[in-house]
Amino acid sequence: MDATTVLAEINGNIATVGYGLAAIGPAIGVGIVVGKTIEGVARQPELAGRLQVLMYIGIAFTEALAFIGIATYFIFV
Amino acid sequence: MSTSSSRSTPAVTGSSARPVFVRILKLGAIIAIAIAVIGGVVGLLVDGERGLLSALVGTAMAILFTGLTAASILVANRFSGTEFFTAIFFAVVMGAWIVKFAIFLVLVFLLRDAEWINPTVMFICIIAGVLGSLVVDVVVVATSRMGYVSDVTLPGE
Repeated sequence: MDATTVLAEINGNIATVGYGLAAIGPAIGVGIVVGKTIEGVARQPELAGRLQVLMYIGIAFTEALAFIGIATYFIFV
Repeated sequence: MSTSSSRSTPAVTGSSARPVFVRILKLGAIIAIAIAVIGGVVGLLVDGERGLLSALVGTAMAILFTGLTAASILVANRFSGTEFFTAIFFAVVMGAWIVKFAIFLVLVFLLRDAEWINPTVMFICIIAGVLGSLVVDVVVVATSRMGYVSDVTLPGE
């Protein structure tokens, strides 16, 4: 019998964990941005236009993070 | 102070934001062409035809996927003034967002091992495209004129 016993084995590419991690941040970010926009529109419906634009900027920055995170697959082996 | 019970609730509209998003898409397209030209030339010098193709595909992916958010907001605003506008708006924008990322993930997986792609050139062009579109977003929003009330037309519009 072997001196060491394998209790658990993980197969596949560890980079997959990285994609998961890259998704967590933007998911939380977009959740907050959209949630707060809904809150703002519910409080002041007439401001919907302005809030949409501000929400767009928030989404653009958070999604940039996700795009860069996913695109790293091109350079990391 | 009087209560607001007799006052009619203003319709939720986002139509005043339309010029901003149209301008974001137009300037984004111009930036994309500039990045594609510069990236294409650099890619051609670095890795020949393969580099050129990678630069073009990378820039196109970056601008297409970042521009889709603005485009989805424009589409969602067509339902402006309807009873379920808020629900429809977030369904369209967030739905487009999820689908966009799913497609982006699939494309990245497919293109990485493609023989006609130089991964490094493509990565740099995607980053340049994403950062370029962010710059456009910030510049357009910072220089835009928007009324504090959505259904008002500003002078000169």
